[in-house]
Amino acid sequence: MPGLVERLRGIVGGGACLARPEELLVYECDGLTLHRAQPTAVVLPRTRDEVCRIVRACREFGVPFVPRGAGTGLSGGAVAQRGGVVIECSRMDRIIEVQPIDRYAVVEPGVVNADLSKAVAPHGLFYAPDPSSQLVCTIGGNVAENSGGPHTLKYGTTTNHVLALELVLPDGEVVELGSRSGFANGYDLVGAVVGSEGTLGIVTQVTVRLTPLPERVETLLAIFPDVVSACRAVGGVIESGMVPAALEIIDQRTIAAVEASVYAAGLPLDAGAVLLVELDGPACALPAQVLRIREIAAASGASRIELARDASERQRFWRARKGAFGAMGRLAPDLYVHDAVVPRARLPEVLAQICAIGDRHGLRLSNVFHAGDGNLHPNISFDRRDPGELARVLAAGVEILEACVAAGGVITGEHGIGSEKRDFMGLVFADADLDAMKRLRAGFDPDGVCNPEKIFPSTRFCAESNPKARGYERVPFGS
Amino acid sequence: MIPAPALRALRDALGAECVREDERVLVDGEPLAPTLLPADAEALAAALAALTQLSLPCVIRGGGSRLELGNPPRGAAVLLSTASLAGVDVFDASEGVCHARAGTPLAEIEACVAPAGWQLPLDPPGPASTLGGALAAAALGPRAQGFGRPRDCVLGLEVALANGTRTRCGGRVVKNVTGYDLNKLYTGSLGTLGVIEGAWLRLRPRPARVELLEAASLEPSTACARAFAASRRSATRVALVHAARGGAGERRLRVVVELAGDEASVAQDAAWCACELGAKLAPASVLENLRELQGATPDGRGLRFRIAVLPSRCEAALSRLWQAGADVLGHPGLGLVYASFALPDGEDSAALAAAFLGVEDAVSAGAGAVVLEAAPAWAKRGRDVFGDLAGALPLVRRLKRLFDPAGLLNPGRYAGHL
Repeated sequence: MPGLVERLRGIVGGGACLARPEELLVYECDGLTLHRAQPTAVVLPRTRDEVCRIVRACREFGVPFVPRGAGTGLSGGAVAQRGGVVIECSRMDRIIEVQPIDRYAVVEPGVVNADLSKAVAPHGLFYAPDPSSQLVCTIGGNVAENSGGPHTLKYGTTTNHVLALELVLPDGEVVELGSRSGFANGYDLVGAVVGSEGTLGIVTQVTVRLTPLPERVETLLAIFPDVVSACRAVGGVIESGMVPAALEIIDQRTIAAVEASVYAAGLPLDAGAVLLVELDGPACALPAQVLRIREIAAASGASRIELARDASERQRFWRARKGAFGAMGRLAPDLYVHDAVVPRARLPEVLAQICAIGDRHGLRLSNVFHAGDGNLHPNISFDRRDPGELARVLAAGVEILEACVAAGGVITGEHGIGSEKRDFMGLVFADADLDAMKRLRAGFDPDGVCNPEKIFPSTRFCAESNPKARGYERVPFGS
Repeated sequence: MIPAPALRALRDALGAECVREDERVLVDGEPLAPTLLPADAEALAAALAALTQLSLPCVIRGGGSRLELGNPPRGAAVLLSTASLAGVDVFDASEGVCHARAGTPLAEIEACVAPAGWQLPLDPPGPASTLGGALAAAALGPRAQGFGRPRDCVLGLEVALANGTRTRCGGRVVKNVTGYDLNKLYTGSLGTLGVIEGAWLRLRPRPARVELLEAASLEPSTACARAFAASRRSATRVALVHAARGGAGERRLRVVVELAGDEASVAQDAAWCACELGAKLAPASVLENLRELQGATPDGRGLRFRIAVLPSRCEAALSRLWQAGADVLGHPGLGLVYASFALPDGEDSAALAAAFLGVEDAVSAGAGAVVLEAAPAWAKRGRDVFGDLAGALPLVRRLKRLFDPAGLLNPGRYAGHL
């Protein structure tokens, strides 16, 4: 694109504009390595005004643009599918204001999730959403994806923690949405922008809610003979009225992978499943809850229940959970991390179906998931250089999504639709539903220049070609 | 009254029994008739399609608890009621979710889920409040501090658009990023983008123990500081300060705290409240009365404002409103202050101006968004009850045009007189 790169260099300076093929290589994909496309250029602005000027330049040259945080997304959301300019916000990384009394912070989008919690910890506060990538992922990316994490069961996802946004619209205008108090008049546009996967504009400032650090944390690890009994324990906990901070299940195949890796946490190799329970709150409340969790786990068939005695033991328990993805790296060169949600009571049967799907396709499939939310993460280890195996991975992925939707679930709980699942939106939504979403899109980005080719099905998948879209003969849906 | 051919067309679309000509409802002094009472979601969609065909704008009504909220309707003749779309369709006690139709009274949902140990933590004022109305108005009550706001309860919605197209968003699961989060857009949109037919709701476990405590007659600054401190206790679900005018302008406030949770936390925080606030056990009616006060206007014809404040500025805002002659109810933990002003008989513009001056004073003391929640029709003239949306207004306008191009849903009522 003659002239565009020079214009962008004029805005951000030569060092903050990448356009040589070898520089662009890393921006070809995000955490989902299967979807690749090379952008025309990548810019790394430092200020809102630079973002506005970049957006206007893109408009002038008629090229689309794609916002990008740390690129840890798992649905291809930060990939320039149609070429164009990737606007990476990682250099806008200032924590502008922290108000411990009113419990909010104003940050730029490039602030790393865990850094924010670290910065506010001296005030006895933290930023609650904690996606697995929290050591590198940015708040801006979290806003785009409405990121969750293991602790969303109690604390909610990003949308529950964003009070206000400054947004550069696709026409280069700046708009402030929401308010520090959390109450703004007019439509809840903050709620609409959070989770919009960078398709409604570029967030240049975020006001987030801060949460008091719990007085005490207790972590339990329960060993079960099979995943069904672990799921039964999860159901028992939910029905008991307790709201643990986290309820995570690791299945037998994952345990084997973890124990053979550097993340080994001393889990018994003959365990069918492991349930990790984290409780937090006032110190006086936890002993009774720990006792109750022990009872429920035992009644559900747990063969062993351990309570972390100190921080290092807690870390060991979590290492098994958080190291799961890393451990998979030993099994095969590539890992496909799926993401879908089902009603919690349907977990055992859907898990059985998912394992059967993997077996039928001859794949190495394992499960580690946010059981308390019903949020499944089937992981498939594979080698994408083997075209036969890749085809089977993709086919199994579709079957997994179909099984989850059939159980009353949805096709993503925290990774987003991006380019990965756009053609499966029809499994969940009818054309009329998607049309309503397109109206929202048109209100912000009438010309479709902001992160195009995401969320909405590509033309070849549109309309009638989706007979599986569940219509109104099944109102209320999912029941 | 609408022309006879239009009336016939509506009767044909809905059935004569669902078109009530004899019911005339006044909204901001404007008489609306007939009332359309579609029997189910399909009939609601048919009613909207017919109204689109006839170019007839309508005002939408749930339980009627908040019909006073909004700017005066512009050119609406018909009232569209969701009252007949009632009932809890699905209640999954193992999951803690339920699906209810828009016209279901909140009390009915609560009665359905409570025996299984769940609650729907929506407690806006108005005993007749329906689910659809409460969501459309994003109406909240004192427990919003502890359990979240309407936006936090909604997992999925079915919405009929202005032209009668039926749509869905979200789902029934508790975690979901499949597509845009239109739940947020519709919740609080006052029915101006579409009419809610039904909703999937996230329920919360009923607490093992609940205690209501009250400390009466504290100096305003002490009361605010203590209510604020109470709002930060782990078991606190409600922390209110309240002051009613009376008794020779004596400036005393009371603090009401509801604790809810496990036995140990509630006991610990109750001991704290007794020690720090001098609070004593209070009957449940104390909270119920305050909830209703939050939704009431003096003599039924005064002004009531809702003012969002940062918790640290709550006391400043409260004191200024009090000085301006308002009854005040504040939630320091939630960051909301409700102020109501009595108005004399007749159109007294001086009294109106004085009230607005007091509110502006409070806003300058650090408050944020203001909504004039209730006022006589004359007092709404020439102003926007939602205040100035500033930079967000063009976006709000564009969205309204995209969802309701003919401007048939609650015309004129929303922010920006949309």
